[in-house]
Amino acid sequence: MAMDINKVLLLGGGPTNIGHENELDAAAFERLIALKKTGAQIIYVDDNPFSVTSEEIQPANVYVQQVNFKNVVNIVEKEHPDAIMATTGGLNAMQIAWQLSESGVLSSNNVTLLGIKPADLRKVIDNQKLRELLTEINERVIASRIVADDNEAMDFVREVGFPVIVKPISASHDTSRFICNNTDELEDALDVSFKRTYIKRCSIEQSIVGYKEIEMVGVRDVNGNKMLVSGLEDMDPIGIHSGDSIIFAPTQTLINEEYQALRTATFRIMDSLNVTGTCHVQFAQSRTDSNYFVTKVSPFFTRNTMLAAKATGYPVTYVSSFLELGYSLTEVKLPAKYSKYLAFMEPTMDHVLVRIPLWPFRDINDVDQHLNTLMKSVGSTIGIGRTVEEAIIKSMHSSQFSPRDILPSVSKVDDDDVINQLIHPLASRILILMEALRRGFSIDELSELTQIDRFYFYKLNQLLRAQSFVVNNPMSPESIQVGHKYGFGDGMLAELWNVNISEISKMNQDVKYQVTYKEIEPSAGEFLENTSIFYSSYELENESHPFEGKTALVIGRGGNQLGPNSAADYYTTQILISLKKTGYKTIIMNTNPNAVSLTPQLSDKQYIEPIQLGNILNIIDIDQPDVVFLPGNRHYLANQLQQFTNLNVIVLPPDQKVASYKENQATTAVDLFVQKGEILPVTTISFFKHDNRTDIHHINDYQEPMTNWESDEVSLIAQAIDVVNVGEWQGLVQVLFDKTATGKYSCTGIRPVRITETAFLTKTTGINWINVLVRKYLGLLDMNSLRNQIVPTEHKRYSIMAAHFPFKELQSNRNEGTTKQEVGSSLSFENFS
Amino acid sequence: MTQRYLILEDGSAYPGKAFGSLATTTGELVANSTMNGYQEIISNQIYHNQIIVFTQSSIGNTGLDQNAYESILPSAKGVIVREYENLATDHFKRISLDKYLKQHRIPGIYDVDTREIRHRLQKYGNMKASIVDVADDHAFDQLHATVLTNQQVAQVATPKPYPNPDEGDNVVVVDFGLKSGILRELSRRNCNVTVVPWNSTSEMILDLDPDGIVLSTGPGAPSNLPSSVLKMITEVQSQAPMFAIGLGHELFALANGARVSKLRVEHHGANHPIREIITNEIFFSGQEQGYAVDPKSIDHAKLFITHVDLVNGTVQGLRHRDFPAFSVQFSPDGAPGPKDSVGLFDDFMEIMERRRGYNGNGY
Repeated sequence: MAMDINKVLLLGGGPTNIGHENELDAAAFERLIALKKTGAQIIYVDDNPFSVTSEEIQPANVYVQQVNFKNVVNIVEKEHPDAIMATTGGLNAMQIAWQLSESGVLSSNNVTLLGIKPADLRKVIDNQKLRELLTEINERVIASRIVADDNEAMDFVREVGFPVIVKPISASHDTSRFICNNTDELEDALDVSFKRTYIKRCSIEQSIVGYKEIEMVGVRDVNGNKMLVSGLEDMDPIGIHSGDSIIFAPTQTLINEEYQALRTATFRIMDSLNVTGTCHVQFAQSRTDSNYFVTKVSPFFTRNTMLAAKATGYPVTYVSSFLELGYSLTEVKLPAKYSKYLAFMEPTMDHVLVRIPLWPFRDINDVDQHLNTLMKSVGSTIGIGRTVEEAIIKSMHSSQFSPRDILPSVSKVDDDDVINQLIHPLASRILILMEALRRGFSIDELSELTQIDRFYFYKLNQLLRAQSFVVNNPMSPESIQVGHKYGFGDGMLAELWNVNISEISKMNQDVKYQVTYKEIEPSAGEFLENTSIFYSSYELENESHPFEGKTALVIGRGGNQLGPNSAADYYTTQILISLKKTGYKTIIMNTNPNAVSLTPQLSDKQYIEPIQLGNILNIIDIDQPDVVFLPGNRHYLANQLQQFTNLNVIVLPPDQKVASYKENQATTAVDLFVQKGEILPVTTISFFKHDNRTDIHHINDYQEPMTNWESDEVSLIAQAIDVVNVGEWQGLVQVLFDKTATGKYSCTGIRPVRITETAFLTKTTGINWINVLVRKYLGLLDMNSLRNQIVPTEHKRYSIMAAHFPFKELQSNRNEGTTKQEVGSSLSFENFS
Repeated sequence: MTQRYLILEDGSAYPGKAFGSLATTTGELVANSTMNGYQEIISNQIYHNQIIVFTQSSIGNTGLDQNAYESILPSAKGVIVREYENLATDHFKRISLDKYLKQHRIPGIYDVDTREIRHRLQKYGNMKASIVDVADDHAFDQLHATVLTNQQVAQVATPKPYPNPDEGDNVVVVDFGLKSGILRELSRRNCNVTVVPWNSTSEMILDLDPDGIVLSTGPGAPSNLPSSVLKMITEVQSQAPMFAIGLGHELFALANGARVSKLRVEHHGANHPIREIITNEIFFSGQEQGYAVDPKSIDHAKLFITHVDLVNGTVQGLRHRDFPAFSVQFSPDGAPGPKDSVGLFDDFMEIMERRRGYNGNGY
């Protein structure tokens, strides 16, 4: 039965980084919706300026602070919550929860940790304890030992056999791991490793490189009832971090016996840890027999928990929130749009999801780009289709950097390079796999070299055949049909045949199957659910129908890359929220499984479709939106869409190309809001905080208000207003100034306020500027009310937003980056001294 | 790739591409939503006279595994799927799905909107279907005129007894269309198994001096079997521990006075929560059922309900009040499907163990 909890402290996920995008904020947001139903008061701590969650909670209950032990202790002692929910805050929050328990903070304040009991949490946080637990319940873990000399290492190898991995402990270099296949290699590895370790110890472990990596996501309730949400299969073998691997759902190459063994093991592990809520377990499955090892246990929300939810349409976050509060699976009531049985029906899929990672090497290229056991990707995109091929093409289509509708390929590598990259994979390896097939490598050979299951090469081969058929038979109905079947959208066909997309649209009328949209729901058609999540396929039955009344389509940003991407998702989400408030039915299309904007409760309909012209036009055709919002700076797409004059396209923020710079320097800025002939000053900003770099491309840190605001602000605002030509500028405008050695401010440029800064302004001024912009462009803005809200020259404290860069994670020695290299930001406040 | 058609009793026709055999067949159309184990599903004898629609979008991905057949001679009437992969994974890379279906004269059609078919079945209920070369009036006439045999058990069950020797408990399995998963679980527990034909008399069975008796799964309606089968059940259930599964469960219920009725839509999947009433534990299992025991018809002096499906409310398990006999509608062997309830075989072993403690002197 549910616990009696009136006040919950929710730990946030903190700034986005490699290994953690917006998915924790998305999970926290969904959790919030569930918690509100219980009537509990929610306290939230997070310093991610792009958190949507923190804006949906009463400001008085939000602590904008770094999620660390010290801050959480202070909050606990001040707020006296009944319970702490840490499972949507990632590993960091779980570690803090454990520290809270170890230090007695939980017991002395009478706070319950939800999801997992402290004693059980310890078994997960402490690797040695986890090994003991797993061994106790007869689950295999990889043998490993700390050795002090060669003899001990040899003894170990005699027990477990080659291959093994040797790693120095407390090493001067961070990453050296040596895979040894024989005694010679082992001796060399030990030699180097013992030289590098400060404490004369090395770890040696059984190598499972080349095993299949399989992941299972389950939920469990307080009574011990369990359900598997989804299995996931990494196409890439163990040795490449799961976050850098292409992932398929459902599992593709496991036979029933293997699959059920992993399912049973997942349940056994959840039981042994008494998990209530969700648990994500990773396995290494042998390719040759039924043996497997447990490699990781995460009784909290992870990237792939959210992926499992996206894959099945099962509301994992919503349900596990109730489970953590002590409800049983049979007691959880889902929102009305789901069938009443669904909370406790094991999801079953009738589609395929493929996730492709996105790497940051375009923006940070002076680092080792090989894929290994350290995660390097910063985002991912998903493609969903009725067939494996369709899903692969859609995800590849969505994952390319170019906005153009072409199938990415690599042809300018020589054969040696191909072989080298097959063995030592680099980012976007799927392109090399396809290129190798194109060059006639046999499937058995490729499977041997890459340790990737033959099944995937069969599928890639079929794609290549389909592609060459389409290329060699241009403009034929049969080609269109083949193209559609394999996931080539109309836009892609138009590019391949070098014709306008409207030509393809015309020809489509002669093709047997038109585009249809299928619902992603967890019963595989057994119940008529109404999840409102769709993907396209060219089949008989269409399940997506237009709304009555005013409808808006918002085109999501797609997979995260470096730069203002998590901010762009925040921006997109706020557009959805604003549109809903103004009475529009909202439709989002996106491909980022970690996006908050794809949260089911935030819009009336979600499409998981490539963000490309053909796919967008198809959706417009079905849904007939009154207005299309295009958030983010996407010149190509904006230009493409604006060709269709019957569409009402609103680009937000207005295209950055209209920015004009006199110099590439700025120290200070004035933000203004321009509506028709009127200019409202918003606030002032100082750009640098941690360093004195004032180059425009290096402006990542913001402080509001400007330094010396007491003396300089009023005159600077006046100066800025003089610069703005209200005929040309509309909306949120930023006038840039450089403070010279003499203390004078000279204007160096003018530009629309960037996405990241718009989020920052929303947090610091208490006015939702995205909502203001949406209303402005819909002609619904109430200027009187806005005028009354803005008090530009009164300030209570400094707000600071500082950028984070993934240099450490990528083992780069840099420490200062450009705006294009940001991976996230943190928000903090400082009182005036 | 030959174009062929799946035609339905309600007049709809689905063009698709042929794989497997090119035979023309007719059967009941059933949708299976289990996501793993296409091999176990196709080779399960319960699909005799049935055309299987897979809701999972892709099958054939893992080839065929010698250890995963549920029967040696599959008797399904057809396989319908969105896409299939023709991969061979056996030692000699000989057997792919296409080849297997050809060998066993099972036609397949892929590249059809199986989700639409699933919706149609849910909406209009069970219906007959044919796999044909041309979807013309003649084909539909044939479909409507076809009367499917009700002698299904006789066609798929063994006509002669055979042993599966081991050194443990002496278990007699009555074959109504046995799936190998049951034998596999008994073998894992070292049972000395004798499989006997469906029409064996109680005398024949008891002459084998069983420690326990299993009534197997099988195809079709329990009412298709003669009353002599029910008589056999009532006669042996008082003599030795009995475990009945699937069709066996339905027969066990009939033999003890309950009624069994046909479901509007057959349920084949592993996604429904099943509650064990006594422990309140909830679990999942492979379910392949066209019939269900009517709970109102149960004579509570004889039987009580042990398991229930929480989605459609159907009876999923029964136990006899006087004898050590119990039954389940679902497939605890997990071939395919979750192994959550495989412990039922251990329960059966324990009951046999206890009975031996009484030295065979009854209860």
